[in-house]
Amino acid sequence: MAIDTVARPISAADITGPGAWWCNGCGDFGVTAAFKDVLLSVVNELGVPLERVFIVSGIGCSSKEPEMLRVNAYHGQHGRSIPVAMGLALANPSLVVVDFGGDGDTYGIGMEHFVHACIKNVNMTLVVMNNQVYGLTKGQASPTGHLGLKTSSTPYGKTIRPVNPLKLAIAAGAAFVARGVSWRKKELAEIMRMAITTRGFSLIDVFSPCVTYHREPGYRGSGAIVDWYRLNYVVDIKEAWRRMQEQVFSEEERSRLPADYDPTHHEAALMALRLIEEAAKMGREVTGVLLINESAPTMAEALGISADRPPALADIAIESNLAIYREWLAELR
Amino acid sequence: MWKLQVCGAGRAGDGTNTFAQLLGKILKDMGAWVFIWRDEVYSNIQTRDSAFGMRAADFPIYGPEEGFDILVAFDEGALWDWTREGRIPPIERLRAGGVLIYDSSPRLEYPNTGHEVKEELVASVAEAKGLKVFGAPFGAMAKERFGNYIVRGAIALGVLAHMLRLPVQAFERQFRRLFNEELFRLNMDALLEGVAYARHEGWEVPDLEVRLDSAEADGRQFLMGNEAVALGAIVAGCRFFAGYPITPASEVLEYMAEKLPKVGGVVVQADSEMAAIHHVIGASIGGCRAMTATAGPGFSLMQEAISAAGMTETPIVIVVSQRGGPATGLPTKVGQEDLNETIFGGHGDFARIVLSPTEPEDAFYLMGTAFNLAERYQCPVLVIYDQVFAQSQYTIPPLDPQRFSIDRGKLIGPWGPPWRGDGPFRRYLLTPDGVSPRAVPGTPGITTMYYNSNEHNEDGYITEEIPIREAMVNKRVRQRLAIIRKDSDLPPPRVGGHPEASIGFIAYASLYGPLVEVVGQLTAEGRPAKLMALRTLWPFPSKEVRRFVQSCRRVYVVEYSVGAQLRGLVQMEATGPMPRKLRSILRYDGRPMTPQYILRAMEDG
Repeated sequence: MAIDTVARPISAADITGPGAWWCNGCGDFGVTAAFKDVLLSVVNELGVPLERVFIVSGIGCSSKEPEMLRVNAYHGQHGRSIPVAMGLALANPSLVVVDFGGDGDTYGIGMEHFVHACIKNVNMTLVVMNNQVYGLTKGQASPTGHLGLKTSSTPYGKTIRPVNPLKLAIAAGAAFVARGVSWRKKELAEIMRMAITTRGFSLIDVFSPCVTYHREPGYRGSGAIVDWYRLNYVVDIKEAWRRMQEQVFSEEERSRLPADYDPTHHEAALMALRLIEEAAKMGREVTGVLLINESAPTMAEALGISADRPPALADIAIESNLAIYREWLAELR
Repeated sequence: MWKLQVCGAGRAGDGTNTFAQLLGKILKDMGAWVFIWRDEVYSNIQTRDSAFGMRAADFPIYGPEEGFDILVAFDEGALWDWTREGRIPPIERLRAGGVLIYDSSPRLEYPNTGHEVKEELVASVAEAKGLKVFGAPFGAMAKERFGNYIVRGAIALGVLAHMLRLPVQAFERQFRRLFNEELFRLNMDALLEGVAYARHEGWEVPDLEVRLDSAEADGRQFLMGNEAVALGAIVAGCRFFAGYPITPASEVLEYMAEKLPKVGGVVVQADSEMAAIHHVIGASIGGCRAMTATAGPGFSLMQEAISAAGMTETPIVIVVSQRGGPATGLPTKVGQEDLNETIFGGHGDFARIVLSPTEPEDAFYLMGTAFNLAERYQCPVLVIYDQVFAQSQYTIPPLDPQRFSIDRGKLIGPWGPPWRGDGPFRRYLLTPDGVSPRAVPGTPGITTMYYNSNEHNEDGYITEEIPIREAMVNKRVRQRLAIIRKDSDLPPPRVGGHPEASIGFIAYASLYGPLVEVVGQLTAEGRPAKLMALRTLWPFPSKEVRRFVQSCRRVYVVEYSVGAQLRGLVQMEATGPMPRKLRSILRYDGRPMTPQYILRAMEDG
């Protein structure tokens, strides 16, 4: 049995919640704005009924995303949004499951689930609002905090090297890997749209600056941290690829690899890892879509679950199953 | 009254489990009630001592008893404590005048070479206990005739078949079920070799004649507690199981993995117990009846999620199979040390229900109750038992799936009438009974169902304001527990023995079995006794327990916990301290309590 629902057109007001009480200028507002655009297009253009959209989040500032929205949602516990989202995606593969988390949420306490979700290739989209700090507990360094970052928990500067979630996701076999930035809404929305329509596990790590607790020398005042990211921290994938071609690639590679970076190229995973490495040498983080690879079966497919007959709608009536139950009881004699 | 107890003892990897299984199944086919338990099993795959007990009787039995009639020994470890660590070898449990059958050939294969049963050892114990001794070179026969060491178990079965006059056809039937054609032939030939050997030697044990009437045995189930729980859950409509391997709960995962895909369900072997229980929460929100099963350390990892299920009002079922703790503790041995954690674990106040099956027949139907209660009250339901229940095999009357009824509470889905609310769907709507409707995601018209682990208003949005906080706590905890307490589906205690007795026993889970025998024996001796096995542990059945205790002059609370967790609950929730009336009978060495153990403990204290 499958639920037959027709998509009704929706407006932004239909999907707007009471709000998340974020700080003025928080990057997460940009992420929300982009996502609402995507949601409108998923329902109004792609024809997915809003009933089938399910948002999951963990704990942290960014995990208050469902407060900004008015959709079916689960706001759970710190680090545990991914396994909840997996349960939903397997119970009913026809749901569009989008998980919003933070960098501490996903790459700290929830790292176990993150890596396994990539490996198992659950059909869901994970949006991580990465700001290098634990905002909601007042600014301690997070696993993505860069070396030297001074916070309340790293008063002498961070000495433990940061995690690189993009490399991890690529190595663990995620179907879609991208880096967005909260201050470029249109580009972020386009990335989200691609992620949601990709079959398999999609990671979008979004730089979503914390205007209150992320401090960098020389960048004082609200909004300045965005400038720090723009001017010192990120490099667009097109620019990074151009530099690779000019400065890194061999003659043979220049002729073999595409002129414009192509995340669907059969060598994209390796190219992406090299891009990330080369950018790191410049002290930069790549932004853009790094990888799209739908070749692996999703977890639901691997487990033989179909959207037509989801476990959530299995016929559990005793009479419908009586023959097989009796057969199984006969085995236990 | 006919009964027989046999122990197969050797090292892990010797096939003592298969030996006990086959013997048990044959006797069960002949009409016996059979109980098989792990007499001595370590957290080890090969080389440590391993003994399985098989008890058969012509009356229902739900637990082990002391005093084997026959010990079949494949290794010297059956006869003495070669580890010198204070191990009590199975020979100590062989009754005086019992039968010792042993492999008289050297141990021919790594890793246990040199650990064969030695003649001088046999001679010394045989004399001391007045045993009837039969030594046959099972290992050498297996190697020479069949080129396969493991079939010495089948040869030993053949010897036993001759001595107990068990029909070879009964073995043939079981071997057919168990083995492929090649192994079937091999094992049948080995069995017949054993029969011929014993016949040739003229071995007889006339006092151990099997007297059974197979007429009544039709349809009786023979299954492990964990299997009854798993199948009961499936019949109850569970279609999503997530778990992580852990003893003594893994058989639930394994059974689910085999069966659930065949009825449109799914099994996830999760990356940890934390992941497993959160998958279950997700699947339950998604519309599945969903469950996990775990033990000690895994259960501790699930605590935050149980609180989350309580707060978000998500129905989940958690099976807790207890072993000796704390930490890794005694992974393969029995304990009842997690009772307090099931009732008081997790953080914060929320409603929960804790149930416990007494034996597999009870467990099968109890799973239906567990899922109905979880969905009716949108709260976690824990089903707690212990290793003896989980991994012993019981003979029980036929099970009937048609006795189940499925009640999904206030769940809205495509099977019911469509949702016709005014305005947006409110997940935490305040209703007269305190339970709010919830829906299967995807249900037409429902786009605002927000589950929240933060304190929330009726719409699910975060709030910390006083009136709504109070209203939600009252709804979730006070009002919920009040209606749960009134639910007549909460399994009542199982009471047995002489109603007017002045000696009482209180226990739960596998201890029901031995206590039935204890009470029977005491009553037969002119000391009327009765028992109360608790099947709902939370909300605690205070009234029933208080009445029971009041009606007795002495009450023994029997449990596998040095902390006497059950007695603590009885005192806290029902009786107060009552130091002179309430006594504990405890065992915390990881070994199963027998009726004899309980009777001795009673006399001692």
